[in-house]
Amino acid sequence: MKKYLLVAKNTWDETVTYRLNFVMWRVRVVLQLLTMYFLWLAVLPPNTTVGPYNQSLILTYILGTSLISSLVLSSRSYGVGDEINQGNLSNFLIRPINYFLYQFARDLGDKAMNIVFSAVELTILFLILRPPLFIQENPTYLILGICSAAIAMIMYFFINFLLGLIGFWSPEVWAPRFIFITVLTFFAGGLFPLDILPKNLFLIFKFLPFTYLLYFPLKIYLGQLAIPEVLQGLFISLVWAILLYLAMKTVWELGLKIYTAQGR
Amino acid sequence: MLELSNMKVIDVKNLKKTYLVHQKEPGLFGTFKSLIRRKYQKVKAVDGISFEITQGELIGFIGSNGAGKTTTLKCLSGLLYPTSGEISVLGFKPWERKHQFLKQIAFIMGQKNQLWWDLPPMDTFLLNKEIYEISDATFKKTLNGLIDLLEVKDILKIQVKKLSLGQRMKCELIANLLHSPKVLFLDEPTIGLDVVMQKKLREFISHYNQRYYSTIILTSHYMKDVERLCRRVIVINHGKIIFDGKLADLVKKYAPYKLIRATLTNNVDREEIENLAEVKTFEYPKVIFKVPSQNVNEIITKITNKLSVEDLNIEDTEIEEVIGKVFGLPKQ
Repeated sequence: MKKYLLVAKNTWDETVTYRLNFVMWRVRVVLQLLTMYFLWLAVLPPNTTVGPYNQSLILTYILGTSLISSLVLSSRSYGVGDEINQGNLSNFLIRPINYFLYQFARDLGDKAMNIVFSAVELTILFLILRPPLFIQENPTYLILGICSAAIAMIMYFFINFLLGLIGFWSPEVWAPRFIFITVLTFFAGGLFPLDILPKNLFLIFKFLPFTYLLYFPLKIYLGQLAIPEVLQGLFISLVWAILLYLAMKTVWELGLKIYTAQGR
Repeated sequence: MLELSNMKVIDVKNLKKTYLVHQKEPGLFGTFKSLIRRKYQKVKAVDGISFEITQGELIGFIGSNGAGKTTTLKCLSGLLYPTSGEISVLGFKPWERKHQFLKQIAFIMGQKNQLWWDLPPMDTFLLNKEIYEISDATFKKTLNGLIDLLEVKDILKIQVKKLSLGQRMKCELIANLLHSPKVLFLDEPTIGLDVVMQKKLREFISHYNQRYYSTIILTSHYMKDVERLCRRVIVINHGKIIFDGKLADLVKKYAPYKLIRATLTNNVDREEIENLAEVKTFEYPKVIFKVPSQNVNEIITKITNKLSVEDLNIEDTEIEEVIGKVFGLPKQ
């Protein structure tokens, strides 16, 4: 297990060497966040509501997605595509290491860095903007929310890894991923809470895995779901996680057959 | 110990490896055409080779580009699975890539690196310590040994990307040798290195082989590598083994002549020299004769009788020339 810890630590160290790059990226994240924040502040003056959200809840949702997406939507496992195309995958195949765990450990190293930064950013924004945030005090909701975020994190890792595996069949890894992730951010509720959409549309969303990446953990935090609803959602997301894992494993083995048949 | 030294480490029987290569016509039209109907061509990279290697041997694989050297190494290390034939390395089937097997081998590719680019080499070493589950004491001992041998003490804390190619190759070697692999595959280890560095690396490989009694298979374009390191060579051409044996025998077989270098004291006509034996080069006062091995003594007597010679040397044919001759052979 220690080997994977070291992989995480090395990834953290690696990010530190690209400080400027990383800081610029965070600046972009903060600007995006501010755009969304002020947009909603303007759209929804105090004492008005949209769906089940008043101003305080929607602002909490927006700031919350920023925090959670730095935890959930920040996987680099798609990098497997480049490793395949450059033939670097060979370096891992000849060493006694589990490649999934290796990539997951890299993700954790990366996420740790992201979390530190977004926590600092949000604290600063909080102190400057003093938004009327909603604070969840019920520990049950907090714990369930964290569980949901953890499942989301694993799900997203699988999704990204799957996208990276395109590399076994095509050198064009970047474009499909870019499109997919853009669409995914919308479906995950990264721009607005999904339940302000028409009911029938939202019903379909409920059975897609994307809903459970951002929207669902936040919804739990906001305490707007009854416990049975929460458990149902956790169950659906768990099933998706398992399905995605099986898909990833199958595709990986298929791809590896081609890789070891053709060589790079 | 005797039993150990005769232990078969690698056993390959009738190994074949065929690639399906997708063919595409150039240009946009070709791209669309290849989307609809793909043409594949079968390429026999390795075509029925067999050999055995015992523990402690240091073997040179030689062959021109695309001869099948790297494919063979990849089959032996488990990166490729064979189309047909049997391979056993340390008693394992390489393509199953069992961790027990992987822990005992290393495959160093001169053109690929496993060091973490943005971190100092030491970080990769420490990670490999955990990956190969090396104990603290063994790690320290092996690492210090390798650091001394390769003289890299002062670069261990510098980012890999800031190291020179030679320094990086040295660190690459260390990273791959920390677990003291029993079988070591070296694919073009000296590629891109300067002459001094090449020499150092060769010395290191030879030393390592003797000290740890590990089996080493090496491919190289530099004949000097093979000449200095390998007693046994396997020559591959068009996917087939065309020679397997001592390097000296290869020379005997394909280049049964020697070079006689003479330094003359008086200038003479070229014609006069050419009467004695075949002249390779003549630039007064130096002459190089190319003579069949069995006639060397006879011709030396002739030379010393007919010419006044200050100095005389007998040399083997340059290995490059031998290899050139071997690869000039038509496809079998």
